[in-house]
Amino acid sequence: MTTILPASRFARRAGGAEGDLRAARPTTLQVNVGKRCNQACRHCHVDASPTRTEVMPDEVVEACLDVLARTPELDTLDITGGAPELHPRFREMVARGRALGRKVMVRHNLTVQFEPGLADLPGFFASHRVEVVCSLPHYTEEATDRQRGRGVFARSIEGLRALNAEGYGREGGLVLNLVANPVGAFLPPAQGDLERDTREWLRVHHGVVFDRLFTITNMPIARFALWLQRAGNYDAYMARLEAAFNPATLPGLMCRSLVSVGFDGRLYDCDFNQMLELGLEEGQPARIQDFDLGRLRGRRVRTGEHCFGCTAGAGSSCGGALA
Amino acid sequence: MPAYFDDDDLAHFGDLKQHAPELWTAFERYYAAAFEACLFSKRDKVLIGFAVAQVSQCPYCIDSYTQTALEQGLTMKHLAEALHAAASLRAGIALAHGLVAHNIDKKISM
Repeated sequence: MTTILPASRFARRAGGAEGDLRAARPTTLQVNVGKRCNQACRHCHVDASPTRTEVMPDEVVEACLDVLARTPELDTLDITGGAPELHPRFREMVARGRALGRKVMVRHNLTVQFEPGLADLPGFFASHRVEVVCSLPHYTEEATDRQRGRGVFARSIEGLRALNAEGYGREGGLVLNLVANPVGAFLPPAQGDLERDTREWLRVHHGVVFDRLFTITNMPIARFALWLQRAGNYDAYMARLEAAFNPATLPGLMCRSLVSVGFDGRLYDCDFNQMLELGLEEGQPARIQDFDLGRLRGRRVRTGEHCFGCTAGAGSSCGGALA
Repeated sequence: MPAYFDDDDLAHFGDLKQHAPELWTAFERYYAAAFEACLFSKRDKVLIGFAVAQVSQCPYCIDSYTQTALEQGLTMKHLAEALHAAASLRAGIALAHGLVAHNIDKKISM
């Protein structure tokens, strides 16, 4: 028997009375290889930290690569975590994804370069022409360190310099993008404005260059939600997100073009639903081993109040603003 | 009345419209137009608003413009610079008014 869940408040707003937010054809396989990270950032929607033990097992790694091999429509492999570089088979996944001719993106926190044995990551990325997407909440040291921990900004700058030294961010085809998110309970600024300010500041003060900057709205789940509640900001933040709902963001929502794989192989509409354990709707493939593009295309997206985070203001996605 | 200033009041600013709707609508249009990006960016105008809010000592405006400034990508470091620029001008204005005392003294004292 199929259980029909009531449409969330978000779905009613986004998809009308029936709450019918539908996915398009997936083009990106976003793989979360585990929750272990060398950092424990205050805004992290994964609750990642050095003490987490969830790691994608071999059979799931193989299943992801198998799906990629047999599904040419998936043109992008997007590897995330935690710090995905800490996964024992991370480099193999990158190499095999590239060998299949796919664009490979890695969500890179910069400071992981300073973990034992990982200093050669920039060179590895360059040799495989990985698109590197780096977290840098703000171009000022004080703001970034407040969110990500003391000393993180300085190490991030060192990490960016190492990537620049390999040719990243220099318009030679090695793509280095930054991701900035608000250091608090408010919406991000206009992406173009922050990109301009960040480019100028990092160039003048730190000699660092990059390609694009993406703004991302902090998602009211996991560790960030906990902080919102503790600081007495939760209700006001949710109201802010909902009041800023922008229907122009809907066509570009990342849930419409990607499928998210959890460390245990379960499938989700996005990385946020993954953290909420909000799996694909009933009747859809539940695990990567059951991946079926035909069934996933046009599926109804599972939504919740957190989805207002992606539609507020100019919108938010793994690729930045949407409108 | 528990307090003269309550942060919940900010959401009810528009309640004042009922007392003089046409004037209120005119104010809303003027306010929106004045803060449109033109020769100055939206962010520049938000900073002007923040500085005016501070020196005018309006808690509603300080609350609102601090949040707006953060959403423009500014940090408390930026706002502190603006605050000191505004405050130093206020200090200078206070001192400049000392010229009145100075001039009076010069005129009537021997």
